[in-house]
Amino acid sequence: MSWIGSLKNRLPGLVIPLLLLLWWVLITGEGSDTLLPSPAEVFSILVHPFQDQISTGSLIWSMTVSLVRITFGFSLAVVIGIPIGLIMGASRHVRKFLSLMIEMARPLSAIALLPLSIILFKSETLTQFFGMSYLRYQRHLFNEMQLGMIFILFWGGVFPIILGTIQGVRSVRKLHLEAAKVLGARKAFVFRHVMIPSALPDIFHGLKLGIGRCWMVIIAAEMLPGTNSGIGYLIRYSYQLSRYDIMLACLVIVAIIGAFFSKGLEALGEKSLVLRSRER
Amino acid sequence: MTALSVTGLVKTFREKSGNVHALGPVSIDVPQGSFLCVLGPTGCGKTTLLRTIAGLEIPDSGNVELMTRADGRQPVVGYVFQQGALFPWMSIYANVEFPLRAKKKGNVDRITRRQQVGTILDTVGLSDFSSSYPHQLSGGMQQRAALARSLVTQPDILLLDEPFSSLDTRTSQDLQENLRNTWKEAATTVVFVTHSIEEAVYLAGEVVVLGHRPGRIVRRQTIDLPDPRSRLSPEFTEYLVSLRRTFEELVEEPD
Repeated sequence: MSWIGSLKNRLPGLVIPLLLLLWWVLITGEGSDTLLPSPAEVFSILVHPFQDQISTGSLIWSMTVSLVRITFGFSLAVVIGIPIGLIMGASRHVRKFLSLMIEMARPLSAIALLPLSIILFKSETLTQFFGMSYLRYQRHLFNEMQLGMIFILFWGGVFPIILGTIQGVRSVRKLHLEAAKVLGARKAFVFRHVMIPSALPDIFHGLKLGIGRCWMVIIAAEMLPGTNSGIGYLIRYSYQLSRYDIMLACLVIVAIIGAFFSKGLEALGEKSLVLRSRER
Repeated sequence: MTALSVTGLVKTFREKSGNVHALGPVSIDVPQGSFLCVLGPTGCGKTTLLRTIAGLEIPDSGNVELMTRADGRQPVVGYVFQQGALFPWMSIYANVEFPLRAKKKGNVDRITRRQQVGTILDTVGLSDFSSSYPHQLSGGMQQRAALARSLVTQPDILLLDEPFSSLDTRTSQDLQENLRNTWKEAATTVVFVTHSIEEAVYLAGEVVVLGHRPGRIVRRQTIDLPDPRSRLSPEFTEYLVSLRRTFEELVEEPD
């Protein structure tokens, strides 16, 4: 039965070549009237990442814009979400007080908030925010960092992070808290050395969900009117110009970066989980 | 001198199905430097008694008094759980060092800590495992580490809740011997909870037997055996049989 086992192990690696084959068959099949470009055309876009594409800049530029946007938005979500989650997890009163608000805010999709965020932040960018108006007419990344965009990224990422952190703090084993108590530990010490380490695996899980949401939000937000940079923008613009090869190349990039994000955080989370789950 | 004095302790747990009267009233005085075993069948409230003494449960009535130390400070209490109370994300060294750096005040400096942790790990025979993590150690070694963690603060009273019950007989007997020797050297007061008659007779200077729920003291027995204690001596067996008889009677009339 070992060939089944080895097939099972190789299957994930086989899926992508099979899909490529299917794609290729669809294009070249007899009487095919598909608008889809061939894999080779998309590939040739992907291997020239520094070439200007339909005068929006290179693929690398568009990617960088999206990545820097998500860096700002997600970092803000982490810096605010984790402390809120820790406090809510540790204090029943705060949890009661905030949970209704969070449950009301959470279902509001970040994309739905884009118009509101434009009203709130106008079209201000980090350039104005940091008072660096001398950059204004240069091709600088900060000119592409609309505050409204960062706000909705924050919105998309913060709730999974808060909920993961609460879950983590609440899953601290009672035995470990009691052990710390009978060993005479002060509260702050217990928080830092018992609660946080116990909560780490769930916090990482929240971060993983959060960055996935952020990535979806940023690509979608960039596709809406009012933007003229980023991978999402390039997807929409290349579609309008019927450059489906560029559009598909962008989708490939979005998929790869998304997978990279969640696999990376998963790996970090697993490192912290190893110790928690190996108790006897 | 009385190290620990328990008076009229009663504990009831409120549960959905109604109140469970788990313990008491129980009164005991534990002389300083003595080794007391609290012996009883499963569910007799012996763990509840120990947890109440440690301040992990709040009694309904009655109180627990710990003798103030000669230097006027609050007595230091050590507590060893049944199992799994080591912090899995900390090395053995960090686990044992924990109580030395976690207190509100009076934490000792790093060098003194290193010394104290080193000494205690040596005593329990874990010097070579200070950088290991709990899950890399056998159950017996984990309990040694847990013991080290509660001894490192040099407690005036050491409370142990069936610390060896999950171990195999051989390991358990090794640790019993180890504990008894440690107790003799350190001259602390020990309260040890167990359901094993043999363990109680081997370890204790005095045994109190708790009856079924609600736990009450049904018998107090001084164990007067010379050291080193042999589990094969006729006197040992006599204590064993006598306490076994008390146990049988408890089972026959549960109330």
